Order: sequence, then C-alpha cells, then structure tokens
Amino acid sequence: MAIPQASFISRLLRDKWFIFLLIALVAFPFVVGLLTDSSPFGVARGDRMIMRGESVRWQAVLIEVYILAILAMSYNLLFGFTGVISFGHALFFGTAGYVLGLMLEYTPLDTTLAFGLGAVAAIAVCALLGLVIGLVTLRLKGVYFTIFTLAVAEMFFIFLGRWQLTRAEDGFAITDLPMWIDPSQNRISVYYIALAAAFLTFFFIRRLVNSPTGAVLKAIRENEDRAQSMGYNTINYKLLSIVVAGMLAGVAGLLQVVLNKKVGPEILGIAYTVDPLLMTIIGGIGTFIGPVIGASGLHLLDVFLRDATVRIGGLVIDIASIWALLLGVIFILVVIVFPLGIIGTWQRWRMKRPKRE
Amino acid sequence: MVRRRASLLAIIGIMVFLIGVALLNSNSAGDFGITMLSGLFQGMLLFLVASGLSIVFGLMDVLNLAQGSYFMLGAYVAYDVQHAGGVVDLISVIPDPNLRFVVAVVAAVAVGSLLGYVLERGLLRSLYSRPIFQLVLTFGVSLVALELIKVIWTTTPYSWTELFGVRESFFELFGQRFSTYRLFVVGMGIALIVAIALLLQRTRIGIIIRAGVEDREMVQALGINVRAVFTLVFTLGCGVAALGGSIAAPFLGASTTLGNVFLLQAIAVVVLGGMGSYAGTAVGSLLVGIAITVAQDTAIGTAFTALPSITPMLLLVLVLLIRPSGLFGNSR
Amino acid sequence: MSSILEVQDIHTFIGQFHILEGVTVSVPQGGITVLLGRNGAGKTTTLRSIMGLRPPSSGSILFDGKPIHGKTTYAIAQLGIGYVPEHRAIFRELTVRENLQLAERKRGDLARKTEFIFDLFPDLQRLIDLPGGNLSGGQQQMLAMARALVPDNRLLLIDEPSEGLAPVIIDQLIVAIQRLAGTVSVLLVEQNFRVARKLAQDYVIIEEGHSPMRGTMHDLVSDPALIQRYLGVA
Repeated sequence: MAIPQASFISRLLRDKWFIFLLIALVAFPFVVGLLTDSSPFGVARGDRMIMRGESVRWQAVLIEVYILAILAMSYNLLFGFTGVISFGHALFFGTAGYVLGLMLEYTPLDTTLAFGLGAVAAIAVCALLGLVIGLVTLRLKGVYFTIFTLAVAEMFFIFLGRWQLTRAEDGFAITDLPMWIDPSQNRISVYYIALAAAFLTFFFIRRLVNSPTGAVLKAIRENEDRAQSMGYNTINYKLLSIVVAGMLAGVAGLLQVVLNKKVGPEILGIAYTVDPLLMTIIGGIGTFIGPVIGASGLHLLDVFLRDATVRIGGLVIDIASIWALLLGVIFILVVIVFPLGIIGTWQRWRMKRPKRE
Repeated sequence: MVRRRASLLAIIGIMVFLIGVALLNSNSAGDFGITMLSGLFQGMLLFLVASGLSIVFGLMDVLNLAQGSYFMLGAYVAYDVQHAGGVVDLISVIPDPNLRFVVAVVAAVAVGSLLGYVLERGLLRSLYSRPIFQLVLTFGVSLVALELIKVIWTTTPYSWTELFGVRESFFELFGQRFSTYRLFVVGMGIALIVAIALLLQRTRIGIIIRAGVEDREMVQALGINVRAVFTLVFTLGCGVAALGGSIAAPFLGASTTLGNVFLLQAIAVVVLGGMGSYAGTAVGSLLVGIAITVAQDTAIGTAFTALPSITPMLLLVLVLLIRPSGLFGNSR
Repeated sequence: MSSILEVQDIHTFIGQFHILEGVTVSVPQGGITVLLGRNGAGKTTTLRSIMGLRPPSSGSILFDGKPIHGKTTYAIAQLGIGYVPEHRAIFRELTVRENLQLAERKRGDLARKTEFIFDLFPDLQRLIDLPGGNLSGGQQQMLAMARALVPDNRLLLIDEPSEGLAPVIIDQLIVAIQRLAGTVSVLLVEQNFRVARKLAQDYVIIEEGHSPMRGTMHDLVSDPALIQRYLGVA
C-alpha cells in the first residue's frame, strides 16, 4: 500500500501547536524532575528501582490522562463521527485487560511472549466483540446497539465479578511484566509508550475521518437513510467504526492494566463507559481535539480536587465523596445547555466572529 | 400471521424449557410451586419497571435509562417511611405498621411521579429535537440519582425489618410454606397489567397513546396536544416504577444496586417482547422473571453462581439472534 | 369574496435546504383551490407549513384573518383546520371507530357527524370495527377524509387524495368532496389533472418553491400552452 509519507509528515509539521505540545510532553518527566529535584527514573536501590519522587508521580498522572484520552477518542469515533452511541465502552476496555492478564498470569508462557501474545489476542477479541455486537444489532434502530452494549458490558462485569478463576471481585495482580514496560521499574518507558499511543491514535482517527471512508461515516451520522440511498452499505461502515473503536478502547485497556499491574472487574465497570462519554461531550463531540481536552481536563481536575474540601456553612464536604455526583450534574448541564462542548462552542464562536482581513 | 406463530412457538418453547428445568430441580410439587411463585413475583416487579420503559419508548422514542432509578427510589422512600429514623420518621404518628406500609407505598408513588414529571418537563422537553441526547441525558440522570441516594441514605444496604400483616403471613400448599406477600405482589401485578390494558384499549387517552406510537405527527394534526400526553405517560411510567420498588422493598430491601439490576432486566424484557409492544412487555416480564428464578435454583451449589444475574441477558441475546425485532415487535 | 386562508410569501427550510422560497396561496371562503406542480415542487411542504408541521421561517399565514404561523400544530388544528396527508396517514393498529373517535375535538362530535359521514362514505359503516391496516387503499382514503370531517373543520388540507386509487374510487371521492363544497373550504394538492379540473375553482402553480402562476381553473383549462409549460400534461 502506498502511503504518501511526505505529505503526512509535512502536514504534521504544519501543525505548529502539535510540535510544541509533543516537545513539551516528551520533556515533561525531565522538566518536572529538574523543578522538583527528583529523578525521572525513580530511585535506585540495589538492582531494583523504587518509584519515588515527583517526576514519576506525575508521569503516572499523565499516563492515566493518555489512557483516558485514547478511550475518549475511540468513543468519539463512534459517537461523534458515526453517530452511534455505545453505553458499554468499558466492555472493550476491560475485556482487553482481562485477556492480557489471563495470558500473563494463567499461562506458562515466557513473560515477553505472553505479553506479546496477550496484547495481540486482546485487541483481536475486542475486534471480534465489536463485530458480533454490531452484526446482531446494527440492522435495528440505533437504540438497540446502545442498550445491547450496555447489557453485554454489564453481563461481563457481573460474570467476572463472580468468576472464581480470576479471583472474582478482588481481581488478580500482574506479577510479571517485561522489564521495558513495567511501571514499577521503568515507568518512564511506559510514559513514552502511552504518549506515543495517544498521538498515534489521534492521527490515525484524524486520517480515518478525513478519508473517503470517514466522509461516509459522517454522512451516516447526519442521515443514515440518505447515506444508504447514495449507495453505501452503511452497516459495513458502521461495523468498521465499531470494530476500530473497540480495538482502540482495547489499547487503552491494555495500558491501564499495565499501569495498575492489576486486573479486576472494576475495569469493566460503568465508570469506564461514563468517563469517555462525559469527556467527549465536555470536550466537543465530533471534534478531533475535544475528547483529548475533555480527558485531560476531567482527570487533572479529579487529581487536584481529590483531597480538597468545600465548606458550606458549618458543613465540611470533601470533594472526593461527591465527585461522582458533581460529574453527573456537570454531565446533565453540559447535555442541556452546552451540547457542543468546549471545542465545538469555540469553533462556532470563531465561525460567527467577523473576519478582520 | 406466520410471524405471530413463530413468536408463539418461541414463547411456548422457552416456557416448556424453563418449566422442564424447574421440574428437574424440584423434589416435590411444593418445591416447584415455590419456584413458579417466585418467578411470577420477579416477573411482576419487572413488569412494573418495563411497562413504563416500553410505553414511553413506543410513544416518545425515548428510552428512559433512569427508569431503574425510579424503582430504586421507590424502594428507599418506602423503606424510609416504614422504618424509624431516616428522612421521615412516622413510627409515633402512624403506629400501625399496616397503615404505615400503605402510606409508604403512596409516598413512593408520589415522589416517583413528581420526579418523573420534573424530569420530563424540566430536562427532556428541551431535547426532543436532539433524540440522541435524550438517551444520554437519561443515562446522566440515572448516575445523579444513584449518587443522590448515596448521599441521602449512604451506601449501606437496608434490609426490611418492620414487618406487617401480609408480609409475615404464610399459607401452606403441597406441604410447603408460601409467603402470602409474594402472592399479594403477584396479584397486584396482574391487577396493574389488566388496568393498564384497559386504559390503553378503552379510554381516549389510551387511543391517543396507541395512535401516538404509530404516528405522532398525525395525532398533533388532529388537534391533540401530544406533548401533554408525553408528560402524563412519562409521569405515570415513573410512578409505576416507584410503586414496583416500594412493594419490592419488603422482600428485597433497599440498596444501591437495585436500580441497575432492574433497569437491565427491564431492558431485556422490553427488547425481548418488542419495543413499544404492551403484550410483549407483559409476556417478556413473565418469561424473564421465571427464567431468573429457575436459574437461581439451578445455580445453587454449582460453580455458576453468576448464572441468575446474566440470565436475562442470555435470554435477550438468544431472542435477538432468532427474532431481531423481539417477540411482538417491529423494531426497524 | 373573502378568503378563509391567506398564505403570503412563506419561506420554509428543511434542514439546510430552502424548500419554499416565497409561496403565496389563498383559499376563498367555501371554495376549492388546487396546488398544481411537478413532484418535489413544494406542494406538500406548503400544506405542512400551514399545519405547523414544518413551520415557515418567514412570511405570514392568516386563517380567518388571524395569523396562525408560529402556533403549534395542535393549536392550528383546533382552530378548525383538518389535514388529510398524502399516503393517507390513518392509524393502522386502531379500528375505524377508534380512528374516528381520535378526531373528536369535543365530546359528541362523532355522534353528531356519524350519519353525515356514513352517508358520504357508506363503506365505512360495515368496516367500523376493523383495524385501519386491514382496509384497502380506497377505504383508507375515505377513512382519512372522514376523520377530517368529525370535528367542525372549516378548512381541509387534502394531499393527493387520488394517488394510487382505481378510477371508480376516485369518482366516489370526487363526489364526496363536491358535496362538501360550500360548507367547507378546501386546499387540495392533486397531480391528477382530471380530478383537479373537476373539483377546483382556483389554481396555484407551485414550481421550485415559488408560486409563479395563479388564476381560475376555467382560464387554465382554456390555455393548453400554460398547462404544458408548468405541468407537462396536455
């Protein structure tokens, strides 16, 4: 396949903000390290590393941001660019995590081999899940896909919460990861891998959406009947979107399991469906950067507010205890009064503003 | 007609299978009776959640993902009214537990209906031009409802301790003790199935609802304010769900998982029966209710303890694979 | 003669498409006006705009001299406007009786009108308890017409009543609509020129969202060149 390399790279270079951002994020562990006088590699103790210090702590925060950004971008591909809503995105995220975990902890394979096979198998299972759910529901009204994903995700969640083999709701720890991707030994490498994955996802989705295939996806979002009458087999296009989104969500799930070194039913929980939905809506549905903004904003807010308290009269409430409630209220407000999200509203505002040239 | 027959065969097939399994599991007629009564009990509770979900979807194209939350809310309100402490304490005002239970149920229905009205009028109404966002909104409302309940009543599950007349009594059949309360709930469910059917078939509102399911625009063009009917139906749907929660609470207690559990089961019912089909919802509720109970009996003492909780979904997947539009439905 | 309906220069959008770009139509009291024009010219959209189903973004619609644009569909209908849409949107799951009951605007409408309706459409009497979906095309059209006659409507908007019907049935419909004339005013959309000619006194030609020609049916019939130009039929 002939990929127009030159044009791709030259287009990258035209995005000045992108270059700045990339440089800033690549330099981030070292900058934090310098500012706080901590090593971006952690502290050596004998031949092991201890992950201590501000730099590695903030690396973990940003890895989480990258993971959520990938998840939100994959969600946006479905919701924002194809007009298909899933209420079970956690299904792909969590299933991928379980497949990798099972491969690492429950097979006698050599660690590196188990990791490689597990990652590949996880993504394949996600694609398959997307394919099957899509085939069953896509011929029906859109709402069927939505509730079917909700139902299947919940089914997996309940099942894995009780499956004794994977230690039910406790889940199991990943004891053995290849050195190069072990966050408790080599976090900075996980950091760069997650960063690369997030950027690749961004460009992959942008490329897909701007391709002729993407044009059909957007046509489906606007009016599926019309897209169909133009001669496109809309079901195949929607399937493609679902499978790709599922695989990308799977990538995010893999990274999450690697970062936590733990697999448990919580990675299939409703939170990983709500988060990308909320991040996408807040950032801006159907925009490229919106989900990334939403993911960074919400997660950083969560981190900063986790230990904060508010005082209402004599009542002291710590934010952590009402965080979910707060998110829900923001969610409803955004849907009602701010449906275009940050980026969407900004774009509309810019379009309306008279040009000064 | 052929489609009708296929559906009927599917229903009979599933029923025969379930009854067969139930018979294999039970040692006596009494055992079997208990399984069936529990199944009917579960089915009726499901119907109370699913009927609103289905009618609202048929009429308004809104799948109310907060429907389970109204059930859960009903359970909490009823619990709170019946027991000492909590938000209201009526023990000294109404010492008679039977009367207090009646008040508890009425309060639950009132709160559920009121909040249903608020949701439709206050939030959903502004989104009829953006249907995808309605779905997203009700999802958001269900999250907020859950968190609010946690704030008001904490996350600790409550089990019902204030017993009253029907709740404590039993009757004997085939040498087994049957709870009268389960029978009471089943009776109440049947009464509601009939009442709603009469409402739909015999009243002007019912004609409007059935017509609205087919063609909302034409109903408007006949001079009928469909929006007002939406509000009414949505409010009633939420009220009935809350009623379900309140009469379930003496058995199931009140806990933060109730909402999701019943929402998912009700979704299975509605899709299985065919979205917007009232008969489908009634039949689907019974099928799913009995299936869950049979699965519970089957799962006892085996490794498949998760079986009952995933049964509705398994049944749903099965039916959708055979008949994508549900047993009674037209889903395209 | 005063007009019961005055549509003045309405513009209507569907999504981003500018469907009506200035349509002006009037229906005289007790008269029948027909909208003529090719498929996709905007005739149905004109009716839907009047009903408030596709509210116009500008222009005015006066019913009985009072503005009705901007009102909701049900409020417009309640003023006394009956809508008989194309493809006879009857309720297929409801019986004929329920279809008629639904159209009541106040209690007793149907009882008062039953005799009149059965006189106009005798077939409906024996079909009264059948679901609408079991009726033939012609019977459905009659039901749709009857439904618009249950309340005391003063204006009927009838869209393509003859579409897909057998000539015998069409003749029955023509007779029925002619019998209504005088008591009820009608704005008709009709592709079948033979039908239009028999029923209407006035015509308005709709073309590409405009209404370039209007006049009496009498003048139109005597001008084959005009017919050929706008309608492609002779």
